[in-house]
Amino acid sequence: MKGVVYNLLEEAVVEKFGADVWDDLLDDAGVAGAYTSLGNYSDEEIVALVDAAAAKLDMTSGDVLRWFGEQAMPLLKQRYPNFFAPHNSSRSFVLSVNNMIHPEVRKLYSGAKCPFFHFRETAEGNVTMGYESSRKMCDLAHGFIKGAAGIFCEEVDITHHTCMNHGADKCLMEIKWAH
Amino acid sequence: MGALTPLAAASADPLDQLNLKILKLENRLQRERVARLKAEEIAEKGLSDLYEKQQQLTLLETIATAANQSSSVDETMRFALAAICQHTGWGFGNVYLPSATIADHLTPAGVWHASDPAHLEAFISLTLETSFAIGEGLPGRVYQSGKPAWISDLTADRNFPRAAVAVLSGCRAAFAFPVLVGNDVLGVLEFFHHNTVGPDEQFLGVLAQIGTQLGRVVERRRAEQKLMHDATHDPLTGLPNRLLFSDRLERAVATHLRRPDIGFAVIFIDLDRFKLVNDSLGHSAGDVLLQEIATRFSQVLVETGHKLAAGEAVTLARLGGDEFTILLEDIGRSSIAVDVAQSLQDSLRNPLFIDGQELYSSASIGVATSEAGYTCAADIMRDADLAMYRAKAEGRARVEIFNQSLHVEAKRRLTMESDLRNALKKKEFVLHYQPIVALSSREVTGFEALVRWQKSDGHIIPPSDFIPLAEETGLIVFIGSWVLEQSLKTLAAWQRDYPRATPLTMSVNVSPRQFHQTDFVEQVIDAVIASGVPPSTLRLEITESVTIQNAQHAIGILERLRQFGVRVSIDDFGTGYSSLSYLHQLPFDTLKIDRSFVSALQSRSDGGQIVQTILDLAKNLNLDVVAEGTESEEHVDILHQMGCGFAQGYFFSRPLNEAAAIELLSTTAKTAAPV
Repeated sequence: MKGVVYNLLEEAVVEKFGADVWDDLLDDAGVAGAYTSLGNYSDEEIVALVDAAAAKLDMTSGDVLRWFGEQAMPLLKQRYPNFFAPHNSSRSFVLSVNNMIHPEVRKLYSGAKCPFFHFRETAEGNVTMGYESSRKMCDLAHGFIKGAAGIFCEEVDITHHTCMNHGADKCLMEIKWAH
Repeated sequence: MGALTPLAAASADPLDQLNLKILKLENRLQRERVARLKAEEIAEKGLSDLYEKQQQLTLLETIATAANQSSSVDETMRFALAAICQHTGWGFGNVYLPSATIADHLTPAGVWHASDPAHLEAFISLTLETSFAIGEGLPGRVYQSGKPAWISDLTADRNFPRAAVAVLSGCRAAFAFPVLVGNDVLGVLEFFHHNTVGPDEQFLGVLAQIGTQLGRVVERRRAEQKLMHDATHDPLTGLPNRLLFSDRLERAVATHLRRPDIGFAVIFIDLDRFKLVNDSLGHSAGDVLLQEIATRFSQVLVETGHKLAAGEAVTLARLGGDEFTILLEDIGRSSIAVDVAQSLQDSLRNPLFIDGQELYSSASIGVATSEAGYTCAADIMRDADLAMYRAKAEGRARVEIFNQSLHVEAKRRLTMESDLRNALKKKEFVLHYQPIVALSSREVTGFEALVRWQKSDGHIIPPSDFIPLAEETGLIVFIGSWVLEQSLKTLAAWQRDYPRATPLTMSVNVSPRQFHQTDFVEQVIDAVIASGVPPSTLRLEITESVTIQNAQHAIGILERLRQFGVRVSIDDFGTGYSSLSYLHQLPFDTLKIDRSFVSALQSRSDGGQIVQTILDLAKNLNLDVVAEGTESEEHVDILHQMGCGFAQGYFFSRPLNEAAAIELLSTTAKTAAPV
């Protein structure tokens, strides 16, 4: 996992719960905690941190990831305003992730393993999103989409039809924007 | 904690001190954090730029590789357009090339790339039909400057004629760069994007390098085309050469075999007496003459081209030397070939001016048409060539059409030519001598040496049958020098055996080719010295036509000969050009009246007048006169009365072989007093 994700998690936790809580999480998770956005760190560390947070805050890991994704989006906008500038809705922003955002991420961090999302528009005008990754972080994606909607001041409803965390071989979410 | 102000620094309270320490540490941590974020930002920018640069280098490398591997300009341009569009994500790319017809204009090459052509249809079709003057629009600007250009927003650009349609089709930003070889712009590539995009200076630098790589392909293609052209064209005249002509002829033969209704013809042209020009005026003058004639022939064919029906095609080629050929393809009627040949002949009617000299040229032209049913190119070439030879043999400056009898004739000539070559080796030439008689005393004053070809079977071939062939093949030069040496040897023997107050003379005919040998004078001098005869007893007989091509050159040769002491006769006077001004300038000693005038002495009422005129002329110019072909007592009497000094002919003696001539000399020696 790229170091920037750890940085964002730290920022989100510090902002909401204070620096001490982050220090505790690092201790609980048993990780060193010196992360730079330029580095690349074992996926196990993020899992350990999320689990530690879940235990401390009495939440599920999925909830922590959703919360984190939503919190991270404004922070991302602060760091990388160019990703957001061409869009006027979270729908177009989300749909651009494969073609615009991930290629930019690869420019910055050669070898970044970005997931690929299979988007499809439904007859009702909703978007289904297929996700398949050994990281099984569909909840983070869920949170990111929520956060993106927040940035564009939109309401969005996300349903998990199938989920790798519940034994499915891939995740399928349906995103419904409230009009 | 609200008391944590700088003032607190002065406090001695340990807790305050500790809090202050914590505050300082937090500040320090914050500074480090800001520094880390800044460092990360700088590093990210560096990584991003590096990535961009690598991508651009990959693009440059990809295009350079394609450019090095391909020989097709279009293919390479297409590849570059697609690669650049893919790299940049820009939607439309187009190529311009300099116009072939209008100077300083760019026209679309018809090579373009669009990721979504339907979307840009209006703009693409406008672009593909728009040309630009130098300096006009985006392509014109790049054409003028030779440098890449970038337009961030087309709507704000004052020099972009296609702006309205571009914006309607959703094009907002553009860049373009030149295809360069040295400083020459050989093409321009332009690209469009649907959003406004600010200039990327680094990328413009890469584009300039791509332009140089593309220039290499264009340059290589040009070099290839030049090589191809040079390999198939004659460098002197710029006409197609033998290779290209043969290729087209083979194609025409193949077409005719498939479709016999599509006829073709070959015209074979050989300039008459071209070698004389080279020999007398030099090769550079000969080259200019060939160029002039190529121009005249081309003009004739352009004019003919207007008269040809659609589809009928003409190729004029120079095979080499003074040989030109024309292929007429898809001709409806074969008589067109004869018309063309006649027009070519007519085009040479007016003189050509070479180095300030007025030259008249003519051509012997042979025509062969597909009607004879040819199955290979070599056959029709051979037949057109044969027809050309017939035209030459028939007196030059004429057109002959091939027919089957020429084949028989050609075989006979070939046999004769090889026999003639062998005749020199086999010593089959013999000399006969015709006495020349002084009309006042009826005494033999000398002989004219005449060459005969006596084959091993004893059969004698008359000069009229082999001299023209010898002249054409150049063998005359060898025969001529043999005649000169042999007759001088004979003369030396006779002068020794039959000494007289005025030594016997020997007249020897000189052919035009012999006369134009560069060392002709030296040959004569060497032969005279070797034989030991007094130079004044040798008379070289030269026909008037020899001197016509280049009078100054001829005068020079004649004067050197006379300086040495050799006498010169003008042969067959009155039958050629007989320009009096020439006659006046040329240093001759003797004038020979042609047999046709002598025989007319009795048969025509004006016969005597012509001879008298010639005699008067000779007297005024202080020339001796020898009448040829005197056959009767009357001829001799009339000529003597008119004041003609010398004569030869059957009345006195036919040409004699050496033994008979010696017999004659011994007889007259008995009656004449020895010196």
